[in-house]
Amino acid sequence: MIQVEQLSKSFLDYRRGWLPAVDAVSFTCVPGEIFGLLGPNGAGKTTTLRMLSTVLKPTSGRARVAGFDVVRRPEQVRQSIGFMSAGTGIYERRTAWELVEFFGRLYGLPPDRLRARMEAVFDWLQMNEFRDVMGARLSTGMKQKVSIARTIIHDPPVLIFDEPTSGLDVLVARSLRQRILELRDQGKTIIFSSHDMSEVAKLCTRVAIIHKGRLRALGRPAELLERYGQPDLEELFFFLVRADGDLSVDRPWPRAD
Amino acid sequence: MVRWPNVQTIFIQEARDQLRDRRTLFMVFVLPILLYPLLGIGMARLSEAFQDQTRRVVIVGCEHLAAASAANPEAPPLLDETGSRFNPSLFDNPDDAARLDVLCDDDPSWHDPTHRRERLRGGDADAVVLIPSDLADTLRQQRRVAIPIAYDSADEKSQLTYFRITRLLEAWNLAIVEQRRVAEGRPEGSTDPVRPDAQDVATRTEAGSSVWARIFPFLLVLMSLTGAFYPAVDLCAGEKERGTMETLLISPASRAEIVLGKFFVVFCASIATALLNLASMGATAFALAAQFNQAPMRLRPSATGAAALLAAPSPVSLGWMIALLIPLAAFFSALCLALAIVARSMKEGQYYMTPLYLICLPLACLPLVPGIQLDPFTSLLPVTGVSLLLRALMQGDYASASQYFPLVFTPLVLCGLLAIRWAIDQFKSESVLFREAEHFDLVGWLRHLWRDKPQTPPAGMAVLCYALMLVAYWFLAPFFPVSGWSLVLMQVLVILGPPVALALLLTRDPIRTLRLRATRPADLALAGLLALTLFPMVNELRVWVDALFPMPEAVRQALERFKDLIPDPATAFLLLALTPALCEEVAFRGYILTSLERSYRPAWAIGLSALLFGFMHVLLSLFQQLFNATLLGLVLGLIAIRTRSLFPCIVFHLVNNGLAVGVGALTSAPWAGRLFRDPAQALFHGPITLLTTALAAVLVMRLAGQPLRGRSVSAVSSPNPERIRTS
Repeated sequence: MIQVEQLSKSFLDYRRGWLPAVDAVSFTCVPGEIFGLLGPNGAGKTTTLRMLSTVLKPTSGRARVAGFDVVRRPEQVRQSIGFMSAGTGIYERRTAWELVEFFGRLYGLPPDRLRARMEAVFDWLQMNEFRDVMGARLSTGMKQKVSIARTIIHDPPVLIFDEPTSGLDVLVARSLRQRILELRDQGKTIIFSSHDMSEVAKLCTRVAIIHKGRLRALGRPAELLERYGQPDLEELFFFLVRADGDLSVDRPWPRAD
Repeated sequence: MVRWPNVQTIFIQEARDQLRDRRTLFMVFVLPILLYPLLGIGMARLSEAFQDQTRRVVIVGCEHLAAASAANPEAPPLLDETGSRFNPSLFDNPDDAARLDVLCDDDPSWHDPTHRRERLRGGDADAVVLIPSDLADTLRQQRRVAIPIAYDSADEKSQLTYFRITRLLEAWNLAIVEQRRVAEGRPEGSTDPVRPDAQDVATRTEAGSSVWARIFPFLLVLMSLTGAFYPAVDLCAGEKERGTMETLLISPASRAEIVLGKFFVVFCASIATALLNLASMGATAFALAAQFNQAPMRLRPSATGAAALLAAPSPVSLGWMIALLIPLAAFFSALCLALAIVARSMKEGQYYMTPLYLICLPLACLPLVPGIQLDPFTSLLPVTGVSLLLRALMQGDYASASQYFPLVFTPLVLCGLLAIRWAIDQFKSESVLFREAEHFDLVGWLRHLWRDKPQTPPAGMAVLCYALMLVAYWFLAPFFPVSGWSLVLMQVLVILGPPVALALLLTRDPIRTLRLRATRPADLALAGLLALTLFPMVNELRVWVDALFPMPEAVRQALERFKDLIPDPATAFLLLALTPALCEEVAFRGYILTSLERSYRPAWAIGLSALLFGFMHVLLSLFQQLFNATLLGLVLGLIAIRTRSLFPCIVFHLVNNGLAVGVGALTSAPWAGRLFRDPAQALFHGPITLLTTALAAVLVMRLAGQPLRGRSVSAVSSPNPERIRTS
């Protein structure tokens, strides 16, 4: 369960002053659903998710993850989430097994339970043939599997995936999405952010469209398309952005003649 | 609350990572093992080069030599016919005779030890041979004679000359024995007729300054810094670069646990580097000394001299060094971590380390400068103190080493703790962890400083303010004569100027920043009473400090002259009580404490501001004021935070300094004996001191126990809502 209320984050830029990266965003996600956070690069998705993972402190507003307030109980929040993003790399000088074991220990799993859990996770993700390979020698797909193993090793109730498929080839991305669906079926609360509209449409139960730090629309994809009379999520997105007065996205290319 | 299992997990994993890194392995393990033998070879060549140069030997009493030769015509002469060289037949290689210039000089100054020492130091001679007047008689009677050789073991040239002369005298000795054997048919091994008598003009502390004693502390400090530097950059900037920093941050480990885990890895690397250097250096020294001993002209007594020149440290001093190394390595490790976390990449990390080296190198080099000795001030400098203490240990000067050990150790541990705390703060800072590449332009930045002024300054501004005060002092002091009004003006410009300017220019609430809030009269009275009751104890403390760290005579005289410059009590009060009370309070309990309070808990803020206050007195005035000023700084900080106003602090400061200035009037009163047990030092009777100190303690505890009257500043720096531009 994730509850976000009027969450805002501003950064100080010495040329432009305080800039809002996330501006009064509110949403809730419940167990057993994949909540999609949809928006272009720089929309504020990563900042929102970083606040949920307690790595950044909100400027104002509140957020509760698995029942814990992100500002007051950050350690419990981190204990209850699995977080995976383009920014969470894997250690080059550790083997797949060592890396997952390291995080399992930090999550406080007792050794026997950690061992059993690791065997189960390595089997599930089919990682056994490269469990003793150093991080630096893993392929992108293998690295992605190690990251997922790291994310779920402590069996957290909440999972946050921040653009997990960016930079992956079609096959790896597809298998990753498959794993996420399996995790949903286990009853996890999952947030999935992406700038890829079709991906979100395939995967998510509900979506929130974010642009320039603000929430523009929230609901089930089908409902939203119907509400705004748009054929697909991509058109819906352009429609919302235009309604917001941002015309630059739809300006035609200047012709040469 | 730090969970140690987490720290341990991070430590073990990160340490393993480091051991898998080739660069770290090279810096920590391979470099020291290769470095010293190479240095040793270099040094051996260097000393050979030394040997090749011609040295000047002054012989006092050449006529006694001539008399001895006349009396023992069979014995070979010590000098050749010209009298300006030693007898070439006494050298293994006759050409070596040309490398020692002999000067017969009977100047009376050579007979006087003090003058002899001065002339040796002045370079008039590299060694002086004092021929005994009864040499001829002693030789004739076949008694033993000692020939004094004066030299300076603190000077390598002089020491090498001494070695050469001792070898020569040994050869002469053997020649005489041989000649007697031939002449008289005596068996070999009879009494040695001539033996050199070393007269080292260097004092015990100077004498120990062998090559190693001088280079060693410097290298050890440098190596523990280098040992900390590479792992720190790899563990912070490297993690950011490889994209694993965020992975670690979203684990349940707290920032403090992450920093401590990393800190122990860096610390171990630093210690390991330093110890391996120590071991490698020791092994090289032994090997080098052994080489000297196997030199062709092997001689029994002088071999110990050669060994001393390159002697390895004794086990006792080794133990001490390791004890010192631990806090030093901890300090460097924390410092490197705090700096390395700011960097986004390994390359950037290396840039940041340059200033660290630039600051540490001169501090570590100071002991190489002659005349720099362990004293209360130098021992407090974090790196220099260690370096000097190591030098004292190498010289076997255990008396001053044990005297200054606590003085070096305590600030070092304190600095180490502060550095760890700083590193943790850095790890908590979002702008440090998620720093983006930025395009810097000065005008934009200045505009930002003006436009986005905070209500009260952040902690970094406290450091800037302090630095500005010191820089202002350095540049302005030469222009102000030590007298009356110029001293007042100086304090206003140096102490009051920077904080007021910074508060007015760079904060939106200067009144709150400088704590210029109205206060209750009760608080003013409380502050005055506290100063009054603390005064007897402060005086006791002052006398203890004076006894522990006596003021140099020159400083004492300067102080007396300064007192004479003040014409009347009113001026004294203005100069020494009113002006400091106003200026120092605005600066330290106003600006600096307010900025520190924004980032630190009150206890830390008070402690830090008191330390800054204490050190300002060391730097601008006298070392002896450190302890009193820091103590009063603590009390003043407490008053400032509890009453939320500067005015009680000013009253406290005014009463405290006013009493110090005016106590003379009390001690000279006819009834002074009833108050003071020692009126000259203004020491009160024991019961009075006890009673007032107890009362002060009660007042301080009451003040400390009081609930805070509202939070003076919010701990989280939040942007002002109205300043956020919504798009």
